[in-house]
Amino acid sequence: MSVQLHSRVLQRAPQSTRAIMLQVMLACTPGILLSVWFFGYGIVLNIVLASAFALFTEAVILSVRARNWWQGLQDNSALVTAVLFGIAVPPGLPWWLVATGIVFAIAIVKHSFGGLGQNPFNPAMSGYLLLLLAYPLDMTAWHVPATRLFDDTAISTLGWYGLQQSLLASFPGLPLPSATSLPAIDGLAMATPLIEFKMAATSALLSARESGLSFFARESGTGWELVNFGYLLGGLYLLARRIISWHIPVSIIGTVALLATLLYAPNSFAIYGTPYLHLFGSATMLGAFFIATDPVSAATTRRGQLLYGVCIGLGIYCIRVWGSYLDSVAIAVLFGNLCAPLLDHWCRPTIYGHGARQLPVTGGEWKA
Amino acid sequence: MSKLAHPVRGRRVHGIAGGITPAANKAASLRSRIMPCPLAPLYTLPLTQYKSVPLTPAVQAGDYVQKYQRLTTSANPDAAHVHAPTSGRIAAIRNCLIADRVETLAPCIELVPDGADTALGCSPVPDFRKLPTSELFQRIIDAGICGMGGAGFPVAQKLRLAQSADCQLLIINAVECEPFISADHALLRERAADVLLGAEIVQTVCRAARCVIALKRDMHAAISATRSALAHSTVEMLLVDSKYPAGAERQLIEAVTGMQLPAGSLPLEAGILMLNAGTTYACGQAVVTGSPCISRITTLTGSALTTPKNFEALIGTPVTFLLELCGVKQHDHTATVLGGSLLGVELASLAVPSTQTTNCLIAATSADLPQSEPELACIRCGYCADVCPVRLLPQQLHAFARNHAHAQLQDYGLTECIECGACDYVCPSHIPLVQYFRAGKQELRDATRHFEQAESWRTRFQQHQYRLKREKESARERRRPESQPTSAPVSRHSPAFSREQAQNEIAAAVARSKARQQARTNRLLASVPKSSGDPEDSGGVA
Repeated sequence: MSVQLHSRVLQRAPQSTRAIMLQVMLACTPGILLSVWFFGYGIVLNIVLASAFALFTEAVILSVRARNWWQGLQDNSALVTAVLFGIAVPPGLPWWLVATGIVFAIAIVKHSFGGLGQNPFNPAMSGYLLLLLAYPLDMTAWHVPATRLFDDTAISTLGWYGLQQSLLASFPGLPLPSATSLPAIDGLAMATPLIEFKMAATSALLSARESGLSFFARESGTGWELVNFGYLLGGLYLLARRIISWHIPVSIIGTVALLATLLYAPNSFAIYGTPYLHLFGSATMLGAFFIATDPVSAATTRRGQLLYGVCIGLGIYCIRVWGSYLDSVAIAVLFGNLCAPLLDHWCRPTIYGHGARQLPVTGGEWKA
Repeated sequence: MSKLAHPVRGRRVHGIAGGITPAANKAASLRSRIMPCPLAPLYTLPLTQYKSVPLTPAVQAGDYVQKYQRLTTSANPDAAHVHAPTSGRIAAIRNCLIADRVETLAPCIELVPDGADTALGCSPVPDFRKLPTSELFQRIIDAGICGMGGAGFPVAQKLRLAQSADCQLLIINAVECEPFISADHALLRERAADVLLGAEIVQTVCRAARCVIALKRDMHAAISATRSALAHSTVEMLLVDSKYPAGAERQLIEAVTGMQLPAGSLPLEAGILMLNAGTTYACGQAVVTGSPCISRITTLTGSALTTPKNFEALIGTPVTFLLELCGVKQHDHTATVLGGSLLGVELASLAVPSTQTTNCLIAATSADLPQSEPELACIRCGYCADVCPVRLLPQQLHAFARNHAHAQLQDYGLTECIECGACDYVCPSHIPLVQYFRAGKQELRDATRHFEQAESWRTRFQQHQYRLKREKESARERRRPESQPTSAPVSRHSPAFSREQAQNEIAAAVARSKARQQARTNRLLASVPKSSGDPEDSGGVA
């Protein structure tokens, strides 16, 4: 389409897509830092690997599509996808799986539909789901570096040994100097606490307080909850900076909380987990503030976003409680993506002059 | 209808949807008072009329004219005529560059002032209430005033429509919500009483039951001046939210009445007349002083000017002359904008005159108006929908406009877009949305026209076919009665058709063909000029 350049809007708000993307990444940092504290460097390795593959794939595909790849990389959208993907997949995932997921996300889910702004599905979650379906074992293992050596000396997950363990998990067979002295990483150190919620587990933070442990002590088991609080903090930052609107997070969290409250019956046979665990025991906060708010694949009308959040909240709760997958945010978000165009079509705002409050007008017979 | 006629006691202002709050940038030009403008070396007076045929000049090159003298004639009794802004000689009547949304060539009268500024006599009126309405209206018609807020619609035409349309409510629009422009603010600050006088005169002419003057909440000086002037007036004052585009016609109607103008209808159909504050002032002056409109208040601002201020600029003053009055910092001056920073036009050439619609000139530095950044893909963030005062979905319209999806463009209300540019302003991907929408609207208009054309051609073709069929049938009808022709030609397959007969027929046909060919050759020879082929005659220029 030809655009006449003679009169454009000359003044613009100091806001840009690349700055928005940077702020989203910035808002992720509290959650990432807490993850590193509790679960070692695995998440950082994931993010670094995913970013490298994402940028490379983005550049290659943009060149193939005869676009300016350097300018295309400037919008930071591939980096945001990579960061969210790196956060979502379990730490210690072998590098080839990280590569598979993110290349699929960028090349197929994003660019085969037309690139930035055109993809109907969230690329990071599509990549995650591909891996979950194809490699369920790797994707449900949550590697946590061992805290003791063979000779039972305590080591820090953040020290050199911790880094080596994370590197070994991501790059199996990497010839590291002290690899032999490290204990093999357990296939599964812990899953998300939701695996326990059917036994009506209470908040780890509460039990830590009762047992006198520090909230930040790794053995207190408060990791998941604090990481969720980290993402909540980041999400509030995004809300305060008006990067995202409140509609999607509030409606997701509201739906999950409502369902969990209504269906939670502590003394009956059917125990579906406390509302608190539903909100802070898994990836709900990450999903509500960072994943579902991806504007490209979400509903774009404000009322549509409220319904979109309800769809996702329903998906999260139902899949968790009655489905076979424990962590359901990715599936629920893709379900929401599917509903988004229809919701947008239904929820169009009433245009000026089409609503109920209209001035009475004459027939206009005076118009000569 | 009657609801509009009653004053609203609580003065409750109704909020409008969306809107943006860009930096106002008005303080610099409001520091000084409205300054009179010295005489320029040349005045260029455009003869164009809003969506109408241009005026006919009533003077010739070389004529001497006096200030206030009417220079044009028109078949339209309500045309906004051009008057001489000062005394001098007509230098030429020719096509000059003017800025009317875009810079185009248009017929203009060029006037070289003699410096004497001798004026025709005017007949001032101390109290307009003693004049009959028809006389008031005639004075406004004679003043040649155009709408100073926007497109420049002749005020006389608007008032005549208002008289026949049962006007209930007159809204004086002094909202001036676009950044940089401060002409109406300055006008109200210094001449609020005159503006209110104009409002009362217009109210009398259009017989509106109620008159409201709307200002923006942050125009403090103008508000206090208006408030003190209101003591002697029946006009009501209303303060609207300080956001853009609170002063857009339909949005202001919603703010004042709390109700929306139905889609596709004009304010006058709902009994509302809206006039800009500057226009109202000009109407008042036309009646009270009896002089035509030869000037308007123009804001000269922008960081590239040493002393930004408001001038009472004579119509036709060259833009360069106005800018130089404020001292242009040449090396900082990157762009000149006619109008505000959102709806303005970037002037490619400064050789254009100021007109009745020139409310603002911005001599911008790169800090005022940064270079446009490259357009990125839409990420559907929806900021544009949040600020749209019409509650459209620009992100969806943009996608439809790119794909030329005409049905969806119509369905999503593209035609309701007022092109205010709020969506453009907030777009983080720097997409020139308004340009897409203008192009989309044009496409819709073209598509409608093509469809109508195709329909009309189809009908014509069908009628043609029908007529041919009818003619054929009637011919057959006519032939039928003489059913037995007396000498029917012998069929070729009948035994009477002998070989000899055939040979004769062929020979005759060949002869006919030869004769035709000969005739054509003769005709050709006759048509060739005699001189052709003669080398002596063809020379000369060789």
